[in-house]
Amino acid sequence: MPSRLSVDYTKCTGCRICELACSAKNEGRFQPSIARLKIVKYDDLGLDIPHVCSPCEEAPCVEICPVYAMRQDPISKMTYLDEDKCILCKSCVGVCVNGVILLDTVRMRIIKCDHCDGDPECAKVCPTGAIHYGSISKLTTIERHAKIGTYLDEIKRVAEKSTGEA
Amino acid sequence: MVNGGYTGKILRVDLTKGDFKVESLPTEWVLKYIGGDGFAARLLYDEVPARTDPLSPENKLLIATGPITGTLWPMSGRTVFVSKAAQTGIWGESHVGGFLGPELKYAGYDMLVVEGRSENPVHISIHDGDLELIDATPHWGMRTDEVTAAMRKHHNDPDVQVGAIGPAGEQLVRFASVIVNNARAAGRTGMGAVLGSKNVKTISIRGHGSVEVAEHEEFFKLAKKAHQKVRQNPQAREMGKWGTWILTAVKQEIGELPTFNHRTGVFSGWESLSGEYIRPRFTVSDRACFGCSLGCKKMNYIPDGPYAGTLEEGPEYEGLMAFGSLLGIDDYPTTLKANQICNKYGMDIISVGSTIAFAMECYENGIIDDSDTGGVPLEWGNTESAIKILQMIASREGFGDILAEGSKIASEKIGKGSEAYAIHVKGLEVSGQDGRTHRSIGLSHATSARGADHLRSLVVVDQLGYEKVAAERWGVDKLPEILNPYTEQYKATAVVETENTYCIRDTLIVCWYSVSWPPVFWMSDFAEMLPLATGIDAFGDVTTLVEIGERQLNLKRLFNAREGITRKDDQLPKRFTHEPMPEGPGKGQVVDLESLLDDYYRLRGWDPETGLPTKETLRRLSLE
Repeated sequence: MPSRLSVDYTKCTGCRICELACSAKNEGRFQPSIARLKIVKYDDLGLDIPHVCSPCEEAPCVEICPVYAMRQDPISKMTYLDEDKCILCKSCVGVCVNGVILLDTVRMRIIKCDHCDGDPECAKVCPTGAIHYGSISKLTTIERHAKIGTYLDEIKRVAEKSTGEA
Repeated sequence: MVNGGYTGKILRVDLTKGDFKVESLPTEWVLKYIGGDGFAARLLYDEVPARTDPLSPENKLLIATGPITGTLWPMSGRTVFVSKAAQTGIWGESHVGGFLGPELKYAGYDMLVVEGRSENPVHISIHDGDLELIDATPHWGMRTDEVTAAMRKHHNDPDVQVGAIGPAGEQLVRFASVIVNNARAAGRTGMGAVLGSKNVKTISIRGHGSVEVAEHEEFFKLAKKAHQKVRQNPQAREMGKWGTWILTAVKQEIGELPTFNHRTGVFSGWESLSGEYIRPRFTVSDRACFGCSLGCKKMNYIPDGPYAGTLEEGPEYEGLMAFGSLLGIDDYPTTLKANQICNKYGMDIISVGSTIAFAMECYENGIIDDSDTGGVPLEWGNTESAIKILQMIASREGFGDILAEGSKIASEKIGKGSEAYAIHVKGLEVSGQDGRTHRSIGLSHATSARGADHLRSLVVVDQLGYEKVAAERWGVDKLPEILNPYTEQYKATAVVETENTYCIRDTLIVCWYSVSWPPVFWMSDFAEMLPLATGIDAFGDVTTLVEIGERQLNLKRLFNAREGITRKDDQLPKRFTHEPMPEGPGKGQVVDLESLLDDYYRLRGWDPETGLPTKETLRRLSLE
């Protein structure tokens, strides 16, 4: 199995060290707003979910790109941007299901994870192993979804039952 | 020129005029104060004169950050709220985790200064250079979680960081807090009341900029190494698993778990307030503040019982203490429910819990009865009464209106000898420690600038008996006495050295954990890191850092001195100095505070009679 970025949101604490390290490595400064990944936080539920450029089975960014600047590795399913071909149409920014392709309005370029050429900084700095680089099995992914599903169901159940008082 | 790590800008919002102003950060402040508490102390001392009413438009509220706020340095995502305190009328500060401080830096400001008073309720909204006051009339009365969600919706951006006051802040409850992102509290001294008095409902911040340090590659490498140190520290790993709940069992073992309004340090029901009990039953997820690899925050959920469905972060050890052992309650769900009410209505759980404990002891001794409390039986261990009176305080309803003033003012209003049960220093309720079983904290409580404070100079090394660390910091010659928690000997030495380091911790700003406990980083680590961050070589010298720490501390003392604080105010409640600990390992112990104070003033270079900095001390620190 080829290596991929994978996420286990049951382990994520929402510390955003990955965002800091990503911008530090790729931009030479600490600027989470242009990190190539994003922690989406649900403070009311106590949930933090890392959004990374992880292998999409069908990659919308590749399909929508009018100039074939985005390509997908047929085996690892990871996607890559060829900046020389990019015409800054921003189609990929809008279509990315994880919301991790960005337009840098200062330097006018597309910001897109390149997996640090096979040595991703985010996975190295993650203190809990919530972001992992390596082969993944489908089974663990299903288990994780089941766990979060149960949790959300329970919250919904109680919310419906309770009077809504704080 | 701006040094590495700083944005070089101070943002001021004048609520009376309704406008914003951006100023340059005075460059001489950087070398003299570094940032955080230091900057805030300078600004508050210069701009809020003596005898200003804390709830008047003349008071100011500052949010300060440090040079490494928003960088990868471990646990550097904190920020501080500083104001003349609504609860005590002296120096007030409250540090908070979460994400607000870094966002302020990314928006382009080192500090935010809130001045004046708005005629109508407003939100202060800072989005990079877009600064506006938004009408908050529709949101006045909302709980903190509701208004936080409303502001994110208003801006159509889930990444807006929101510091909000709840109904308690609007009602000017003296110990009202500011709640950041639903559950992180700038809890102590009443910052929420100051914002409430200025008619500010929220401060919401979003920044897209960056923090750039002087030597990026070197700093980046060192910060990653520092994270590894935290991750490999066995105590830090335990802390990540159990959070501050790890303390309950430790405190019970040493007989210092404040129980029945600090009467004793032993609580029979401690087990159901301990991490080992709580985590497997109630914890649903681990969370962390910005840039923290330890992750001590826990999201908890109550599946059944009277508080079924409660989903909330916390409480910390202090909350477990304040709504658990302090009130004689051995029920975790009650403490979580109380924490939720404190978060949503915006109150300091330590002060409100202690004030209820004060009322319970008055009730026990017949100073107040059901006719005073509106029929709420304030008996020890009565969970329903504790929650009921908490809600009454949040809305200043009935007897809650008196307790909303804090235990000091409430005891003055109630009279009849109730003063003996108001366990506070300078008006701030005593946190979850006890000088009788840990002498150095007795000195900390008595001398800290904001009142009975456990965060500015709590020495853990002596209490936990870390011989190696103690020898490194204070010299082998002071062992073993300095590690004996039951003697006054050398305790001032430990407090002074620790307090200086914590001053630097609070300028950077980094978290209590990893510095104060477990002891991962200390002055030499900051001296190694700061020149890389700022490009200022002078910060590489520990003696310079000590001097900067002392300067900050003395400036806070001068601020308090202007309000009339002297040695006579550096006192402990008689409970700690005259009532021997009744049971447990520390049975029979009391604090000999006067000898501790003598040592402390001598080491600080303060006058032993007045407890104020001498001329020589002020000259040495260029504070004349």
